[in-house]
Amino acid sequence: MITLPTLVTPELQQRHGSRGRIIALFGGVLLIIAPFLPWAYSARALDDMTFLVDPSPLQYLGLVLGAIIVAFLVLQQVLKPAPRRPRTACVPGARAGATGALIYVVLILVSISVELGGAVNVMYGGWVALVATLLAFVGTRLMPTGRPPTLAAATAPAPLEVLAIAGLMAAALFAAAYALDQDDAGIFVSFLAFVGAVVAVMIRSGVMGWLSAVSQRHKKVLILAAFLVAFMFPFTQDGSDANMSIATQVIIFAATAMGLNIVVGLAGLLDLGYIAFLGAGAFVAAILSESAFSTINWHPPFIVVVLISGTVAAALGLIIGSPTLRVSGDYLAIVTLAFGEIFRISMNNLDGEDGPDLTNGSNGIPAIPELNFFGFDFGIRHELIGVPLGRFSNYYFLLLLVIGLIILVFTRLNNSRIGRGWVAIREDERAAEAMGVNVFGLKLFAFAGGAFLAGVAGSIKAHQDVSVTPDQYVFLESAFLLAAIVLGGMGTVLGVLIGATLLKLMPEKLRFVSEYRLLIFGLVLVLMMRFRPEGLVANQRRQLEFHEEDEELADRISDEIAETGTVKGAT
Amino acid sequence: MDVLQQLVNGLSLGALYALIAVGYTVVYGIVQLINFAHGEIFMIGGFGALAVWLLFPAGNVSIWMLPLMLFGGVVAAVGVALLTERFAYRPLRNAPRLAPLITAIGVSIFLQELIRLFYGDIPGFPDSKRAIPFPQIEYVTGPAFNMGGLTIQRAALFTLVALAICAGLLYVFVNKTRLGRAMQATSQDPDTARLMGINVDKIIMVAFALGAALAAVAGLAHGLRYTNVDFRMGFLAGLKAFTAAVLGGIGNINGAVLGGLVLGVVEGMATFIPGQFGGSAWKDVWAFALLILVLVFRPQGLLGARVVDRA
Repeated sequence: MITLPTLVTPELQQRHGSRGRIIALFGGVLLIIAPFLPWAYSARALDDMTFLVDPSPLQYLGLVLGAIIVAFLVLQQVLKPAPRRPRTACVPGARAGATGALIYVVLILVSISVELGGAVNVMYGGWVALVATLLAFVGTRLMPTGRPPTLAAATAPAPLEVLAIAGLMAAALFAAAYALDQDDAGIFVSFLAFVGAVVAVMIRSGVMGWLSAVSQRHKKVLILAAFLVAFMFPFTQDGSDANMSIATQVIIFAATAMGLNIVVGLAGLLDLGYIAFLGAGAFVAAILSESAFSTINWHPPFIVVVLISGTVAAALGLIIGSPTLRVSGDYLAIVTLAFGEIFRISMNNLDGEDGPDLTNGSNGIPAIPELNFFGFDFGIRHELIGVPLGRFSNYYFLLLLVIGLIILVFTRLNNSRIGRGWVAIREDERAAEAMGVNVFGLKLFAFAGGAFLAGVAGSIKAHQDVSVTPDQYVFLESAFLLAAIVLGGMGTVLGVLIGATLLKLMPEKLRFVSEYRLLIFGLVLVLMMRFRPEGLVANQRRQLEFHEEDEELADRISDEIAETGTVKGAT
Repeated sequence: MDVLQQLVNGLSLGALYALIAVGYTVVYGIVQLINFAHGEIFMIGGFGALAVWLLFPAGNVSIWMLPLMLFGGVVAAVGVALLTERFAYRPLRNAPRLAPLITAIGVSIFLQELIRLFYGDIPGFPDSKRAIPFPQIEYVTGPAFNMGGLTIQRAALFTLVALAICAGLLYVFVNKTRLGRAMQATSQDPDTARLMGINVDKIIMVAFALGAALAAVAGLAHGLRYTNVDFRMGFLAGLKAFTAAVLGGIGNINGAVLGGLVLGVVEGMATFIPGQFGGSAWKDVWAFALLILVLVFRPQGLLGARVVDRA
């Protein structure tokens, strides 16, 4: 965690607390008014903010943030503290809202300036919004925080709780569809900032705690809702393949990252050649497909191909893993890296000139036919309840099943004897061995199992990409997969999904940084390890591993375990 | 005769690996960190040397440029290595093992991109997005020596001589100077070394600087030998050098030198593997296969170091 120097001391907050509230309230109200004023001189910037009394969607989002700030400040006055009533942390909520709103407005103003060439293009409404958020920011900082929220302990009638989950999922679907629709980088970044602000508000005020407690109680509903939302997504696209092609890429990336998450996140083995297993699966599937360029004249049905792909990848995993897993984790990292290179070079060389002809060398295997399940052709457009679904939607549904399967494997393993063995190995290998954990066997299982899942994902990727070439499977891709896990949170499902989505979506939407993509990417890896090694969504046990000296955190988590009996954030 | 020729080629290639491998080994011996970004330090050494040449009036290839270029490369490499140590690795010294490794990957990508994107922006410098031709300094490059059918490239000879000098200096430094002995003590037992009054932080910086200086020599030699430098050249070279360090026994400095030479010779000899799997297309594969074989049969390496068992 980054700790800023404390400019605002508790004494200052005691003295100026009520003044702070007035300033913040004023700022919040001003932020509600500001969207009705014009923010930019030209309609070309962002989503047309030139109107008086007719806010654009982005301006409405600013209004929402203002309303959140005001609502929390009012709530704090209305809700009198009662001993038994669950507490909402109003001031931290308002504070997070004000900070988020400040970032949001600054981003919008910067975008306007960049897109129109200079800050002179920002109209008075924009400056009013900036002043409003600054006031709210300073005001909320001056107020004392009060005690931490206990909202997580609150219970509501079951239907209401289920409704809350459904509402959350619907909001997520809406947000995802909206974000994907934006071609303008400024709008995309601002919207991302808005989502970040809302999430921060929910975490700080305790609402997130309540939601996570609720989703623990209604786990099945949550999982069902999540899949339903993911399943619904193609129906929002109206048969257009543009976003679906991105969505399929995101999901295949996420599925692979989830497989790697078992190896890195659960077992703690750093695999830097994971992409080679994906590539192995893809090449096997391509060679066994009915492509005219396939080099082996045997074309079993796809189900068999999937299993062969997975098995080949797992066999490679065993070959690499069995010598290295005995020695040390560091060696594994480099050997898997070397294996990735061996794979790439071999696939390039098996072209009939430098070796037997298996892969057509650097040309790879093009023209892989579309999948066909019992007459259902993945390549053509189908209609379902009147909604046209294109080629990518078909693959999307199939991949959804695959990622569901991988997540299932992940969570079941995590909560099993095997998963506990992995945790033990990760934390102290020798102690685990002394306790009778089969260290080598479990490591090998994680490694080969992860390779199998990558092989399965690869076999589908081959058909979805239509062609397979060696240069799709280079070290950088492995590094990207690893980054998705590190960024999102090692050993978590939600975190890795978020990390994978961000990493795949950002370059699509932010074309102007594409040149600096890798530079930023390298820097983010370093900074994450320095300041938040547990990732955006922290697995609490993992968090403890990374912050061994933090006694406070340890106490808090052990209290929580005592209350709920489980470690949160594992799933 | 052909075997002898490949032996010479392999030895000079191996000398390059050996120079880089020392950096992996000294750092690993002291902080148990695989400095994945070390290959990039080697690359920066090459680019640093090139920068000095570019700053002088164009086309100067006199032999007097060589020490200046070497100095430039060493300064750049050591500087970058110390900066990464200070800002990326030091804060993570007590973190779980996974953290510094991931940081190292990040540093590696970051440094590559830094050179790719911004090296060409310096006035008078060529675009670094593809390989930049390296100046051909007189005497150390030029027509190859011919000895009874045996061809030795001048740059290859330069690499071998550079390795011999560096290895000699390294031997004296590690065994005869106070700082070198302090380094040995720290690698054996950091806690006791600290109790004996050794400034461990300083020793770690010395280890990084030492490795970077040798890598810079290798960077210069690489430029002379392959007549160009490329922002990507650190990746494969670093991987090979790590293989060399493991081959010799990681943590063992003599082992790194020996391992580098052996690896180079193995790559050279891979040409004689019969059938389609011989030849230069497969030499990298054989080198990495060797790494895996060493881990199976002799994980402590040729000269033996303590077996690395900290997972």
